[in-house]
Amino acid sequence: MSASLMVMVILFGGIAAGLVGSLTGLGGGMIIVPLLTLAFHLPIPEAVGISLFGVIATSTGAAPRFVGTGLSNVRAALFLQIAASSGALIGALVAHHLPARLLFALFGIVLGYSAIMSFRPQHSDVAGAPESSPLAQRLRLGSRYQQAGQWVEYRVVGVMPGFGIMIGAGFLSALLGIGSGAFKVLAMDRIMKLPFRVSTATSNFMIGITAATSAGFYLSHGDIPPVIAGAIILGVIVGAYIGGHLVRMLPVATLRKLFAVVLLLVALQMLLKGLFNL
Amino acid sequence: MNGIARERRLLNIWILRVSIVLCALLIAMGLAIFFAHGGAHIPATPSGSLRRIMHTAAHASLGLHASAFLDAAIVVLLLTPVARLLVGIYVSARVRDWLYVAIGVLVVALVITGVIAGQSGM
Repeated sequence: MSASLMVMVILFGGIAAGLVGSLTGLGGGMIIVPLLTLAFHLPIPEAVGISLFGVIATSTGAAPRFVGTGLSNVRAALFLQIAASSGALIGALVAHHLPARLLFALFGIVLGYSAIMSFRPQHSDVAGAPESSPLAQRLRLGSRYQQAGQWVEYRVVGVMPGFGIMIGAGFLSALLGIGSGAFKVLAMDRIMKLPFRVSTATSNFMIGITAATSAGFYLSHGDIPPVIAGAIILGVIVGAYIGGHLVRMLPVATLRKLFAVVLLLVALQMLLKGLFNL
Repeated sequence: MNGIARERRLLNIWILRVSIVLCALLIAMGLAIFFAHGGAHIPATPSGSLRRIMHTAAHASLGLHASAFLDAAIVVLLLTPVARLLVGIYVSARVRDWLYVAIGVLVVALVITGVIAGQSGM
């Protein structure tokens, strides 16, 4: 395949990643890494580094949806970002010393988990914790948001367990080139009892900064080939833009389940590559 | 919406719009130059400090090389979440919330550490 044709195919792959990522909420990284490693045989550190830039593009493209809604909890985001960025830094350092097969296997497991989670029913906002924990009170993490013209106050608990999960989310993000949004939302929604909509908006803010921490590492380390990265980033921007317009017209819940089946197959292929080098 | 929240919203929207449009335009120009040359010249993979990468890109731009625009786009995209983080710090400073100014500065330091650790080849 000529270099020009390869770049064109990667550009369309980026568009597909951005489109599917924005339609299903599964994130572009889950598609970019398998695309670059399995189809184009790029070394996994390069694929992960490029994917992290795709994650920043996806997060930046989706951000206007949340800016100004008052949903994002900036204090919680900044505090938890210490954990996520620390994890990302460790992940980027470790990724360059792990065997590629282990990374493939790990990616397969995380991808499979995310695909299976897609079949679970979506959350709805429910009453959170009755009172904030002492640490959450000291950090003033409780806040409020507007819903149907009414202010809804919420309180926060489980700060340290949430902090711990964020270290893991940042680590996985840097190691595998994914946004880890599912893990971030899990920490805030399930553990810290932030409302689901607040968790999603806060997670969007955090995903970009987490990815930037490790993407900076991969860039200065010399893992980002500019033409391939450019094609992926442009593709993701275009795909996410189209997806943002199609999201109200398509049966997203059905698409999400169909796509989860495809992701399960990709996860299996990544796992087999990792375990048996197939 | 109070004044500071409005200011934060406007700053964030401005950052997001400018960075996405600038990034897309720079990549489109870089790829157009790449295709115009028949894909024969594959730009080298940059490494080192952001200053060094941008310095190399500035030199390459004089020769209208694809790498100049692609490297610049990559750096613009990398700095977008950092700029949003700086807005968060600025807003915290405006309301004299020094604890969150300190936390924000610590996070910026972690991002910078990532770049420095990468260029040291760890």
